[in-house]
Amino acid sequence: MKSLFHLNIRTPLLALLLCLAPALAAHAQDSRIQMAGLDHLTAKASQTIEVNLDERLMRIAAKVLSDKDEDERQVKKLVEGLKGVYVKSFQFETDGQYVAADVETIRTQLRGPGWTRLVNVTSKKEGMIEVYLLFNGDQVGGLAVLHTDDRELTVVNIVGPVDLDKLAKLEGQLGIPELGIESPKKSKNDDEK
Amino acid sequence: MNDDYLWDKTGQPDPEIQQLEQILGTLRYQPKPLVIPRRNYFPWLAIAASLLLALLAGGIWLRVRSHNEAPPQQARIETPKPVQAPQAPRNESALNPPLPPSKRIHKPRSASSVLPKAEREEALMAKEQLMLALRLTTQKLHLVHIKTQHKVG
Repeated sequence: MKSLFHLNIRTPLLALLLCLAPALAAHAQDSRIQMAGLDHLTAKASQTIEVNLDERLMRIAAKVLSDKDEDERQVKKLVEGLKGVYVKSFQFETDGQYVAADVETIRTQLRGPGWTRLVNVTSKKEGMIEVYLLFNGDQVGGLAVLHTDDRELTVVNIVGPVDLDKLAKLEGQLGIPELGIESPKKSKNDDEK
Repeated sequence: MNDDYLWDKTGQPDPEIQQLEQILGTLRYQPKPLVIPRRNYFPWLAIAASLLLALLAGGIWLRVRSHNEAPPQQARIETPKPVQAPQAPRNESALNPPLPPSKRIHKPRSASSVLPKAEREEALMAKEQLMLALRLTTQKLHLVHIKTQHKVG
């Protein structure tokens, strides 16, 4: 009787798990943000940067990152385990080329379960920069950066376990020149305007 | 009857022996000119020539491939350093210090050189995209870092 009970309870549980498995798998991949809603801005932008690197391309890219070069080794370590890197960045000649609804298509997704807004910085000169992290339990499952300015809209989405410290240390390395990010003193003056 | 016929073919031959001679004579040794059979070496020569050509083609291909792969390996590593004004004389080792490990030129014998050409091109494009994405991301994070530090300060 006991074994019959176990059999009876196990079968639906197994079926339920089988049904839920794809949904759970899909949930684990939810750190991918859909950016197709911003595609119409390409025509208005003076400069567009678009990066679409899925897991396969990440693996291929990692093959040409040298193990002997310290900087490239760091990048290789950083991208290990990542499932994708997606970027859409638009620079505009004039203000008001995109509307709040455009940004909302991204923010809506970042309000979804698992996403946490880590930082939100607003300044007159730089606009608003928001950094979001997706947590799968205690693990970071993804990163999103949303930068909105009068003449810029940038969305960065890194899918997979990303190490923020390693990422932050990369600037100025890899032969990538410093990008002219202003010094704290200068930004202070700008913010005080 | 003279038996010498059997010995040296002299004397009166016996008709029976003559008959036997005629019958067995067909099996007698017939001298023929020596003919050495000519072997046909053409297939072997063709195989050897094909192998040689394949080896030659392989060698040329490897040489061309390694030649083509060399420039990108060197181009992205060395960054020109600004020329400094002449200063007080230093010793030779101080003027030309050994490059740090991260700045040394790599020989084109990495895992990437093993990749087929098409895959290598795709990999290099993906790497460029990755670098671009990381550059943009670190720029934004750095900006956030500066702003938050400033606010805390």
